[in-house]
Amino acid sequence: MEKPLTRNMLPGRGPFSLAEYEKAGGYQALRKALTTMSPSEVTETVQQSNLRGRGGAGFYTGRKWSFVPMGEDAPQPKYLVVNADEMEPGTFKDRFLLEGDPHQMIEGIIISAYAIQASVAYIFLRANYDVAYRGLQVALAEAQAKGYLGENILGSGFGLTLLLHESAGRYICGEETALLNALEGKRAIPRSKPPFPPVVGLWGKPTIANNVETLCNVPHIIFHGAEWFRSLSRSADGGTKIYGASGKVRRPGAWELPLGVTIREILEEHAGGMRDGVSFRAVLPGGASTDLLTADHLDVPMDFNAVQEAGSRLGTGTMVVVDDRTCIVGLVHNLIRFFAQESCGWCTPCREGLPWLTDILAAIEKGRGEPGDIEILRQHTHLLGPGNTFCALAPGAVEPLQSALKYFEEDFERHIREQRCPWK
Amino acid sequence: MPQLTIDDHPIEVPTGTKVIAAAEQLGIMIPRFCYHAALGSVGACRLCAVMFLDGPVKGLQMSCMVDAQDGMVVSTTDAKAVDFRRQVIEWLMLHHPHDCPVCDEGGHCLLQDHTVSSGHAIRRYRGAKRTHRDQYLGPLLQHEMNRCIQCYRCSRYYQDFAGARDLSVMQIGNKVYFGRDRDGTLQSPFAGNLADICPTGVFTDKPSRYMGRRWDYERSPAVCIHCSLGCNIVVSARYREVVRLEARFNPHINGYFMCDRGRHGYTYTSAAGRPRQAIFEGQPADVDATLQHAAERLTSIARMHGLAAVACIGSLRSSVEAQGALVRLCNAQGWPAPAFFDDDERLAAVQTAVAQQHAQVHVSLRAVENADAVIVAGCDPIAEAPMLALALRQAQRRGATIVVIDPRPIELPLAFQHIPLAADQLAACLDDLITRVGTVAHDPGALETGSPADPLAAAADLLVRSRRPVIVCGTDLPNVAAIRQAGKLARVLRENRDSGLFHVLPGANAYSAALLNRGRSMAQVAADIAQGAVKALLVVETDPFHHLPNRKRLTDALARLELLVTLDYLDGPHTRKAHVFLPSTTIFESGGTFINQEGRVQKTAGALQGGTALRLVSNTHPPRLYGQGIPGNQPMPAWLMLSALSGESAFGSSADILQWLAREVPGFENLKAAQPPTGEDLLLDSAGRSEIGRHCLDVTSESPLNPPNSGGGLHLLSTERTFGSEELSCRSPQLIELESTPQARLAPSEARRLALKDGDRIALAAENGFYETTLKVADNMAEGTLAVGRHCHPDWPWDGRHARIADRSIKKIDQRETKINP
Amino acid sequence: MLTPLEEEEIKFVAEHYASLDGAAIEALKIVQRHRGWISDDSLRDVAEALAMTTTELDSVATFYNLIFRQPVGRHVILLCDSVSCWIMGYDNILEILKRRLNIAGFGHTTADGRFTLLPHVCLGACDRAPVMMIDDRLYGELDADKIDAILAQYE
Repeated sequence: MEKPLTRNMLPGRGPFSLAEYEKAGGYQALRKALTTMSPSEVTETVQQSNLRGRGGAGFYTGRKWSFVPMGEDAPQPKYLVVNADEMEPGTFKDRFLLEGDPHQMIEGIIISAYAIQASVAYIFLRANYDVAYRGLQVALAEAQAKGYLGENILGSGFGLTLLLHESAGRYICGEETALLNALEGKRAIPRSKPPFPPVVGLWGKPTIANNVETLCNVPHIIFHGAEWFRSLSRSADGGTKIYGASGKVRRPGAWELPLGVTIREILEEHAGGMRDGVSFRAVLPGGASTDLLTADHLDVPMDFNAVQEAGSRLGTGTMVVVDDRTCIVGLVHNLIRFFAQESCGWCTPCREGLPWLTDILAAIEKGRGEPGDIEILRQHTHLLGPGNTFCALAPGAVEPLQSALKYFEEDFERHIREQRCPWK
Repeated sequence: MPQLTIDDHPIEVPTGTKVIAAAEQLGIMIPRFCYHAALGSVGACRLCAVMFLDGPVKGLQMSCMVDAQDGMVVSTTDAKAVDFRRQVIEWLMLHHPHDCPVCDEGGHCLLQDHTVSSGHAIRRYRGAKRTHRDQYLGPLLQHEMNRCIQCYRCSRYYQDFAGARDLSVMQIGNKVYFGRDRDGTLQSPFAGNLADICPTGVFTDKPSRYMGRRWDYERSPAVCIHCSLGCNIVVSARYREVVRLEARFNPHINGYFMCDRGRHGYTYTSAAGRPRQAIFEGQPADVDATLQHAAERLTSIARMHGLAAVACIGSLRSSVEAQGALVRLCNAQGWPAPAFFDDDERLAAVQTAVAQQHAQVHVSLRAVENADAVIVAGCDPIAEAPMLALALRQAQRRGATIVVIDPRPIELPLAFQHIPLAADQLAACLDDLITRVGTVAHDPGALETGSPADPLAAAADLLVRSRRPVIVCGTDLPNVAAIRQAGKLARVLRENRDSGLFHVLPGANAYSAALLNRGRSMAQVAADIAQGAVKALLVVETDPFHHLPNRKRLTDALARLELLVTLDYLDGPHTRKAHVFLPSTTIFESGGTFINQEGRVQKTAGALQGGTALRLVSNTHPPRLYGQGIPGNQPMPAWLMLSALSGESAFGSSADILQWLAREVPGFENLKAAQPPTGEDLLLDSAGRSEIGRHCLDVTSESPLNPPNSGGGLHLLSTERTFGSEELSCRSPQLIELESTPQARLAPSEARRLALKDGDRIALAAENGFYETTLKVADNMAEGTLAVGRHCHPDWPWDGRHARIADRSIKKIDQRETKINP
Repeated sequence: MLTPLEEEEIKFVAEHYASLDGAAIEALKIVQRHRGWISDDSLRDVAEALAMTTTELDSVATFYNLIFRQPVGRHVILLCDSVSCWIMGYDNILEILKRRLNIAGFGHTTADGRFTLLPHVCLGACDRAPVMMIDDRLYGELDADKIDAILAQYE
């Protein structure tokens, strides 16, 4: 099984230095792109690879790039922004890549910037990823010294300034337009769309924001080609995926696997199944803002379309496994409380609705729920839908809630009836 | 132009209109909080949700965020939209305190209105409400953050619209807080608008707190008379006093807002010290009897000493009716025409400005917002006409470049270029601009590639490249020559551009006073009194001590009079020294016609019945005073009393005066036209100006601003301040806190030259006196200039507002001594 | 007053921005790194350097939870309270920390000024749950013994 993303990550040691990376074939894709391909050819290749964004939204990467105005009359400068703000609860895959092989991402950044003719790129790195931060500082200095960054890279005429910015916290910074505001030194409130960032983004200029994992795929796509990339996957969408599992499994961790392996495969073959004393009850397939799936869904392939058909989202692809000894009400309470706390405060439904839900869930969990509470919860799953709110935080927040009510409503009713938590 | 259907009503609107605005045009007010026509759409509150049933957009959408497009079918009454809006209100009410009974906003509260309109009634939330600590924000605004529904209007208005920097939003989520980083008076002179735009009771008007409910008040439209812009207001009155003012929308002048000077300057009308009793030779008397005595005395002096021995002084804060009645009185009696302006220079300046501001070139205040380039010559907007500064900000936000050419250290709530030029160089500078602009117009190749070292070249370049330039010119500082050049510049630009001319005048009714003033200035009258040529003086609704700053000289002159008759609603030395005093009514009581700096005629009716405020008469509620008549109700409209003095030539009504003016006085022809109640769209503009123009051409351009070059020394300028200079608002207790102590501002190089430091206490010596003040070193001002903030009751030892002062006349005061070292 | 080193660091990052206020977040982090937290005085120092008012800067500072506008101890403990750590025993870890540090709960600082305990959202190490960070180091798979050993390393 080919594992392009993790092939340089050897156990028991730190990431490859630039010299080691080059020795393993690194920066060949960059050379190929800059010296033998035009920017539109790069974009075309990525489009054909069916690479979908790995940050959670799953938008086709090549198509997003194609929205950027190109040519001499395009507004300048154009920006590429790396969304390294991994703060979705249950998600730790980008850390894996940032700590494990920073040069891989850097190479992907430069190629992608070339494709859209961006002259400045930012890595927006979440706070508290200190190991990754230090590793990136070292790798960036190496790349700069080697001439892979700066002016006239590899004599191609293309130049790129790549800057590392560390955030000061707040989950909402992971939202594309809120991230832009944070980069501009402001409160991280999302922006209304249209206009979309590829046309009006950072400082009003065309900007592409891509996830870490998305960009790490780019060198491999360019080097080996779109067809190769599609072949790695078990689904229509190309490539491998860093999957993960956390919760009470035997071997929590992250693994690079073909896109489209099933939930069961990840859970049983790689995470080693459930620990002793607990059995599987439910799973959040892609992090905190995805719908729960149940034992009936263990054979669902973990790709974008299949998970959507099953009633959830692939999201980040890092699963949070819920065992039978964990209270689902408590789980949902914990999740909603997170989202309520991280609401930026701009729009009414999210700002007021999520804390209200938190209050109700806390009451139910503590045995003080009342009969009308479930109805209020359910109403909110419809009210906090896309379009009713200013951004996607609240619609994501109610996904675990709506699925918990769908599959585990009895749990809620028991708490209310018995006026206690039966799982304590 | 898109055509759409809203609630089964078709409508066509200009491209770019939001659906919420389109609905308004149909009379359908979709509920909203964060949307405001002046602040734009941001999509935060989610209350304006409507259903789009058909067309290019479908589903539940926020009507403030969607552009109206062809074929849209919108329903505001669809159940899904109604449910969602009700839910939004429930969300906003989760934490809102149940304090309507003690909240001043109650009765005019948008949250109350929309809570009722949404149908939300029963609280389901069982949790605790979040609470905040309030801040002290100054004397004008009360802060009660628990009521906040996070519409973000305040921070958007304050920071984005008004350009102020000491109020913002803090924190995140449902803990967001709107306020300053710490307690303290809000710095913006437009902060009072927060009370108008806040849809709940977070920001409420502090001076009127707890004084009544909206339905208790008599509310009526009026205009502000604290500067020449004539912003529109709404007056709330109760128990015979004006309780508060709010801004009233006017699409040509102030838009939705007003400044704090106008908002809080009204207290003079209900003040305890206001003179309400006619006084004849020291004794309180009946108004009618006093009028008769006054008429007899004036006639007798005219008979004894000649008609020229009676002089009259009129006012820029009087209504057109009062001004007209005074002119008519002088005509009828054969006395010299009344003087309305401080001195000859000022008179010539304003008349020049009015004469050249004809229909083809003047622009309204709102039009200034649409300029793409503005030259502000010899004007300090935030001090002289505050709302002009706000209009300049909107222009700048839309991409305009603003250039201010003025000697003073100008501050504006926007990014602008300042060319600090001495006042006496203004005319030459504008002339230079005209030449450069003219040159380039004929030879585009002559355009200097803007060396940044030459700001004048840059300004010329800006004008050449502009499409809608506006020339703003004051009349307080610039001399006649400069004002003429400003007009010429606007005309030159008009040849192939949509250019405009905008003059700031020295008072609410300065425009009409300029048309009426056929004779002298106040200074000339005072000189004539001192010489003994004038024996009787009639002063109408103006305090000469405010306008003629040399208190000693004026006091001496008045002492020489045989008769001083004063007609006013303010107390002051001019009323206290009068032999005959007649109390007049204020604009709030008798209304009046006022013509703003653009020539826009605005007529207002009175807002309340006259009389002493109830709280000054009785301290019980309800009042237990019994008697006939209303206490303190003797004041009469000035026009009526002046008319009575005219005897046979008395006017029958105030409308008669306007008809008379339209017939008899060049410049007022348009007053004949039928007037809507507030005369919104009536502009004075006529050929009569050429007569004024001719008159002005005779006026010499020699003035204190163009003194013979004496080498060394400084131009001493008395300059207006936002608060504390204007005659009426300087008495307002809530504004006194906002005044800064008048300071003398000097450029750093001059301070160094004179061995003075920032903060030094200095004394300025004149021929017959000293003036003490504190020095402030200011970076962005012209050399050779000492700019002293004007006090509304100055004790100024110079004759004019501006003077020449030698270096040796400026001395630092040793703090240990009270005397000045020789 | 900013120290020369703080000024230099801020100037360096501000170079990449068209206007000074774009570097607001970075400037706050720089000064916080030197001083431990952002007091009102520090806020004013940074605001002056960026030509911002203190209100404008506080509007940005108070949005971000890792800009501390109250004093903190010499070391800041961030305990993850998100879903995976919660499943794996966060409640228990919190109790252990409260007992060991002898503090009432989140937001409190130990009597000797050594530690301030704060909650934090997902720290991105869910496979090692439950996790906490002390300053810039991550500690996973926590239990009572491990916590004792970890805390002992800090002065």
